[in-house]
Amino acid sequence: MDFLAEGFRRAWDLLVGGDAEVYGIALLTLKVAVVATTISCVLGLPLGYFLATRRFWGRRAALTVVNTALAFPTVVVGLLLYGLLSRRGLLGGLGWLYTWQAIVVGDVLLALPIAAALSAAAIQGVDPRIRRTAETLGAGSWLTAWTVTREARFALAAVITAAFGQVVAEIGTAMIVGGNIRGSTRTLTTAVALYTSQGDFGLALALGLILLVLALLVNIALQVLQGRGSG
Amino acid sequence: MVELRGVRHRYQGRVVLDLEQFAVPRGALISVVGHNGAGKSTLLRLLALLEPPTEGQVLLDGQVVPKRPAAALRRRVTLVEQRPILFRGTVYDNLRFGLEARGMGSAAKGIVADVADQLGLTALLGRRRDELSDGEVQRVAVARALAVRPDVLLLDEPASSADRAAAGALYRALVRERAERPIAICVASHQLEDAYRWADDIRALAEGRLSPVTPENLFRVELAPGEGVKQARVGDIDIAVMTDRSGPVVVAVSPTDIFVSREPLASSARNVFKGRVTAMAIERRGAGVHVRADVGGVELVAAITAEAARDLALGPGSPVVFSFKATAVQVF
Repeated sequence: MDFLAEGFRRAWDLLVGGDAEVYGIALLTLKVAVVATTISCVLGLPLGYFLATRRFWGRRAALTVVNTALAFPTVVVGLLLYGLLSRRGLLGGLGWLYTWQAIVVGDVLLALPIAAALSAAAIQGVDPRIRRTAETLGAGSWLTAWTVTREARFALAAVITAAFGQVVAEIGTAMIVGGNIRGSTRTLTTAVALYTSQGDFGLALALGLILLVLALLVNIALQVLQGRGSG
Repeated sequence: MVELRGVRHRYQGRVVLDLEQFAVPRGALISVVGHNGAGKSTLLRLLALLEPPTEGQVLLDGQVVPKRPAAALRRRVTLVEQRPILFRGTVYDNLRFGLEARGMGSAAKGIVADVADQLGLTALLGRRRDELSDGEVQRVAVARALAVRPDVLLLDEPASSADRAAAGALYRALVRERAERPIAICVASHQLEDAYRWADDIRALAEGRLSPVTPENLFRVELAPGEGVKQARVGDIDIAVMTDRSGPVVVAVSPTDIFVSREPLASSARNVFKGRVTAMAIERRGAGVHVRADVGGVELVAAITAEAARDLALGPGSPVVFSFKATAVQVF
């Protein structure tokens, strides 16, 4: 238990003391998480709406693929992405390997199925009369989609929270395609893993606490937004 | 005018609607009556262009409607569903919805005030959906549909949750709308009294088909195999039916084929049921009187002349006997 107490003390000092490295890692993590969550949701929510509301050949198969993608191991995604982004890979020309952009791409690949599958479930949960009523009152496809989406706002907020949770806690792809480079691609999760393996529990714990606080703040912000949108 | 031609609509492989022709002309208020599951809601959904028939055509003012109609075409027809649902927001937001969808937001205030006034909703404009009763939700839904001034207005059981006064206000609003402009209105209902009181024409639907007889006394029954007179169980009574048909069928007795008496008649009629009069109504479109009676938990309607009703001194609660022949029972 001593090491835990020591760890908390160290964490407190680092946080209060405004350690530049700790805060740098936290900011990078936040940047990656926000960008990846935004991209995942901007793509995933309309995809989920499409899967939930359109009847087309292969729809069931598409839903199965998306649902299966929920269980993709992060290290496997990281490995495949590494192959694509490495110099000889298909996307090697981008030069993104070991950059924060590579981590974002990996996170998007992991969070996109979450956003699509859960939002499809959320939209399917909306009373079908809402869509029919909007259509019969003359709403075009955009207004109908907006009306249905508004009805599912609580479930969709939970989708965004889940996507953010996946991204912010992800370590496999961040480690493989980010490289855990100090001052460049070191995120909170990769740093925690590194400092734990080096025996620097205080620093690892400090970063872990920041990770928790970050997740807490984002959840509170989403809840506040939900509250404003209620009624 | 909206019209269905040669429609056979299937749901999960089963034919749920089979109509050679069904039309709602402009300026008419048509009532469609029938049991639950008779196909009324499906009929309205097809007329509302919400889904295309699996076979056959929908025509709007003589033009065949494509399987995926453009928004401009869909906007000419509006459906108020059975158990309608309101969008989130206030009653005012709901009444504006269709107008916003048509880019008529600037004119919405006056139109909303007008329809709200017609349906007694002015005091409710600021309320949200969870602050309304079922009857109020229905009125808001009808007002929301009237606000967009459709060419064809379809209503599925619009007064099922309304009290008599609210139902009257609702139908009066429909009649007023029809008087002002050539709108085609089709109301699906199981309340025959409303149909007789307000509709220009009544069509009965049974098992997805238009019934060849008037809409009263329609029952879905199971007939045993064999020939001759069979017993069809309806509620607590057995109706004698002369038919070769068997299995699930619909049986109907025309109200004009029922003899009404105070005492059982010595006659050839195989069906003689004692009961009590529950209601009497003068038919708007004829000189007859509809006598409604509860016979063994089943409601039967007989049509007699006003003179006969007077001679029998019938009134609500009077004991009464209904008689009809097994051959008067139609099977389809």
